[in-house]
Amino acid sequence: MDLGSLLNALILGLSIASIWLIAALGLTIIYGAAGVINMAHGEFIMLGAYSSYMLQYYLGLPYLLCIPASFVIVGAVGLALERGLIRYLYNRPLDTLLATYGVSLVLMQGVRLIFGSDPKYLAAPEIFSSNISLGFASISSFRVVILLVTALCVLGVWLLFYKTRFGVQVRAVMQNKEMAASFGINSSRVYMMTFALGAGLAGVAGSLFGVLAIVLPTMGASYVVQAFLMVVTGGGSLAGTVVASGVTGELQSIFAFFTNDTFARFVIFVLIVVFLRFRPQGLFAQAGARR
Amino acid sequence: MGNLYHNKTAQWLVYTAFFLGLAVIPSFVSDDFLLNQLATYGVYGMLALSISLCWGFGGILNLGQGIAFGLGAYGMAMTMQMQSQTESNPIPPFMLNNSLDQLPWFWEPFSNTAAGLILSIAVPTLFCAIFGGVMFRARVSGPFFAIMTLAMLSAFYTIILDRQPYTGGVNGITPPSPLQLGGFEIDPYSSTAYWIVLAILVTATVVAKLITQSSFGLVTQAIRDDAERVRFLGYSVAGYETAIYTISGAIAAFAGCCLVMLVQYVSPAQLDVGFSLSMVIWAAIGGRLSLLGAMCGAFLIQGAQSYLGDAFLATWLLILGGFFIVVVRFLPNGLASLLESALGLLATKPKTPAAETNGDAKPLPAE
Repeated sequence: MDLGSLLNALILGLSIASIWLIAALGLTIIYGAAGVINMAHGEFIMLGAYSSYMLQYYLGLPYLLCIPASFVIVGAVGLALERGLIRYLYNRPLDTLLATYGVSLVLMQGVRLIFGSDPKYLAAPEIFSSNISLGFASISSFRVVILLVTALCVLGVWLLFYKTRFGVQVRAVMQNKEMAASFGINSSRVYMMTFALGAGLAGVAGSLFGVLAIVLPTMGASYVVQAFLMVVTGGGSLAGTVVASGVTGELQSIFAFFTNDTFARFVIFVLIVVFLRFRPQGLFAQAGARR
Repeated sequence: MGNLYHNKTAQWLVYTAFFLGLAVIPSFVSDDFLLNQLATYGVYGMLALSISLCWGFGGILNLGQGIAFGLGAYGMAMTMQMQSQTESNPIPPFMLNNSLDQLPWFWEPFSNTAAGLILSIAVPTLFCAIFGGVMFRARVSGPFFAIMTLAMLSAFYTIILDRQPYTGGVNGITPPSPLQLGGFEIDPYSSTAYWIVLAILVTATVVAKLITQSSFGLVTQAIRDDAERVRFLGYSVAGYETAIYTISGAIAAFAGCCLVMLVQYVSPAQLDVGFSLSMVIWAAIGGRLSLLGAMCGAFLIQGAQSYLGDAFLATWLLILGGFFIVVVRFLPNGLASLLESALGLLATKPKTPAAETNGDAKPLPAE
């Protein structure tokens, strides 16, 4: 084994980590802030990919503009879902899991009815289709774009949660909803905004994944379990999800380097279950209990 | 006069009527293919029963029931595959195609039919006991446990997919001939196969029903309602949770064996996340607090999928998803709870003879 290919695996691991992170970012916010287990998250990602496809195909919008546009569209869908369904279920966490699974079935089949089940393709600008080589290692430049967008999103969420008034309100509601309410914070509005924000971030992930892979009505299902594991391993906090995605992305890449991709995934799943057995609260547990 | 729905004698009567109704089906159905399909509904009934026992009575939402089901199914498929291997030809063809020239060690015991059948049930049951024991002892519960079972299910799915020489990979295992049991061949398209599935379903239901009525079942229901309080009363919550989870897993393993006996085929699709979630949907729509309700939910959904499926092929998932959302939002205890409240209305009326209400009751009641 030479050092160059191992380094290559490490760089690929960073890329895998950024994919897992952007998929899990929206879920972290929704689970961390509102305690909702959103099984429709994968379908939000799928909606993001389809809205980018629609904007690009029918309106001819440049790809880089499709990303923020998907954020807005899927965020609006999330907002509607929260107002119409989720807000009635906040005190029944298991039922949110089930109801959002119902939502995911509806979204998946609805999209299939509208767009058909044949694959769609998102076109990225020419410059993203080249490879960047750093002497010993090379990586497709679109993976670098994903890494940058992910970093930007994490930075944005961090600024929003830790540097703004809204962020203080969200964290107050996370720690103790009743106490926050008695200080005049409208917790139902906070939940609504965080849910929409989380859904919007899934939309961003979707428009990125649409270029990385093909756009299909079923594409969301493959991301949701992984995204959940990242969130749960991280303990529902932003820093936790970042670290969990980073570590598992690198581990997956290294295991895949020695065996193969599917087996690496199996090892990761088992390792996560074992890890959570000994640390059920995740890497960084939240301050304040939500139960 | 209390609510007839909670009357134990009435419940047993309805269960008996329900299974008698299922038992006479083969004498009316002459189409072998239809009979085979109805028998697979029995398998779905077992799965819904196991989910109802675990989730409705134990409060453990298990999204990974496909693990026990799939392991049972693979065990049965391996047993049936080995039955068609002879001395001169001891290795299944798909292994030879994957350039494996020796039988893997974990396939060896399946050459013996009895050992294979025992292992098909014992391995998934043991897995549930160990996995459940480890998880519940760490006080993993609620949505958290659901995610863990989901992760475990995905792990099994990927490993079976990946180890193609040993498991047949994505193609699965297709045993060439039906199950031979004690010199008899069980034709999956005969009423014998139907009777076997029904017998297992009835046994599982009676056992589950007796469990829910025992003091053990009462403790698990107390844990479902408030685990902390039960812990403070001195019960070993983890022990009870592990036990109910393991029993439910064993029923699912039986279901897996029955399915392979009926369809002579197993593939990683049995461990698909979507299939495990649909088991939960059956139980939720039918009524997770009622064993019979959950089974009826399975029959209802799977039946509708097969028979309305052609007319609503494109919109079926849309209807199912929407229906499921409505049930979760407005009817958390499923359709069976409708019957419970209907019978409750009758019970409040004074001087209502019990016999009349019994005649009107549809075969849905339960606990």
